[in-house]
Amino acid sequence: MLELIDITKIYNPGEINETCLFENFNFKAEDGEFISVVGSNGSGKTSLLNIICGSIPVEKGKILLDGKDITAMPEYKRYGQIGRVYQNPSMGSCPDLTILENMSLADGKGKKYGLGMGVDKKRIDYYKDMLTPLGLGLEDKMNTLVGSLSGGQRQAMSLLMATMTPLRFLILDEHTAALDPKTAETIMELTDMIVKQKKLTAIMVTHNLRYAVEYGTRLVMMHRGNVILDKAGEEKQKATVPDLLTIFNEISIECGN
Amino acid sequence: MLYALATIEVFLETGFVFSLIAMGYYITYTILDFPDLTVEGTFLSGAVTYGILVYNNINAWLALIAAFIVGFAFGAVTGVLHVKMNIRPLLCGILVSTALISINLVAVGAGLNGDFTGETASSISFGRRAPTLHNTFPMNLIPAKIENIGVRDLVLFFLIAVLFKLLLDLFLKTKCGLLLRAAGNNDRFVTTLSIDSGKSKILGLAIGNGYAAVSGALYTQISGNVNQSMGIGMVVIGLASLIIGLSLFRKVHFMKPTTKVIFGAIIYQACLTLAQKLGMPSAYNKLIMALLFTLALILSTSLKKKSQGVKK
Repeated sequence: MLELIDITKIYNPGEINETCLFENFNFKAEDGEFISVVGSNGSGKTSLLNIICGSIPVEKGKILLDGKDITAMPEYKRYGQIGRVYQNPSMGSCPDLTILENMSLADGKGKKYGLGMGVDKKRIDYYKDMLTPLGLGLEDKMNTLVGSLSGGQRQAMSLLMATMTPLRFLILDEHTAALDPKTAETIMELTDMIVKQKKLTAIMVTHNLRYAVEYGTRLVMMHRGNVILDKAGEEKQKATVPDLLTIFNEISIECGN
Repeated sequence: MLYALATIEVFLETGFVFSLIAMGYYITYTILDFPDLTVEGTFLSGAVTYGILVYNNINAWLALIAAFIVGFAFGAVTGVLHVKMNIRPLLCGILVSTALISINLVAVGAGLNGDFTGETASSISFGRRAPTLHNTFPMNLIPAKIENIGVRDLVLFFLIAVLFKLLLDLFLKTKCGLLLRAAGNNDRFVTTLSIDSGKSKILGLAIGNGYAAVSGALYTQISGNVNQSMGIGMVVIGLASLIIGLSLFRKVHFMKPTTKVIFGAIIYQACLTLAQKLGMPSAYNKLIMALLFTLALILSTSLKKKSQGVKK
């Protein structure tokens, strides 16, 4: 279980453009939940993910993982249990390394990166078996530099690589936003499959209301650093895109947009 | 004919020796994108370490390894300053190489006669029979000269350059090496692998400066001594060799970058030697070095533009 307790997050503290995003913000993610987070720009969706992963510090409050305080834990250590896929497909892999080298690196997560050979030839078939179901033909391009792949191909790889080793949480930061509709659909289906297969607890930020409704077990809407809608279980199943849009419009009018 | 061969010998020797700095820069500059100025200091540190140990009759091969370790350590200092203290790359290099000016000077006096004032000795000269690599097993099995060409040193420098090239190639294929390349390429990715990418950067800088120090140690073999101005200009030599090698052989895909870098170093030295042979007084050396480097930079950007133009 992941808990954020009384989190206060202030951007540019002490400066003229100081903005308080979260004030005594609380959030809880139960094991096995697949949470879709929606909300307008600046509502704090991505900040929420960054706070969970430790990419940005918080001014006040605690982050608990299974009751253990991880607030002071550096970002890289938290990724021991967390996998993350970014909006930008180039963030999740190394462009100047080959597909094989990238996958070998991801495969080694959690182990020591010592002086053993970086690429284990015996694992190549295993990697190919992972890539084949994607239907992108990546399995035949193992020695191609990742930088020469398309955004969709790279994002599919990022997702596979982020979830290659045993982990508990998957953080998805608008990971389909930079893709064309068809590729986005493929990646979304792949995401759902992986989350179910590996029984991950996932938090997905998205601007696509349909994905938020169709996928996941819980739906959260954020606005100005607050959760203004939180549906799980049956309630979540009943949620529809028009409903969400209505609420969206209401808060937008409130803001004067 | 012999005259030409002797000329070729000169630039091959210096080319092989300086290729080590260039290989170091391949890690720090090309892979980690870190313009490292520390090498001006660590090149000399390598020479000083090697010189002191050889002067004290320590086996020259051990002295060479010690030089690597000293360079490695000071490179790591630069890395720590950058990674842990968030100091900019250029400043880290300036800080460490400035400190090394004193350290290298004091070390010579301390190593030669146990004096730490830095006032009694600043250079070390090797006699003909000094137990340098040149006179150590197995190098002493090779004839020192054939027809006035210094074969032994040439073989020595060639073998060490190739050895360090192969070691680097091998290292870059290990898990640790792969991680280093990843850290230079996309350090966010390394972070999500639950690894502190800073450690890879520190290691890279350490290795790069270890290579520069070995280069310095070998150079004493050419200059016949260790003196305090040896390190000056090494940033230019190293980077120019690297950039010439990588950009001239850009299209040659079967060649490893480290091999390209060795050729780059030789070509750069050949140009410098040529300039001297054409009658340039040695006072103009550094000017020519800078000019050639500028040329290499212009060449490399125009080649890059061209190849990108073709792609589109």
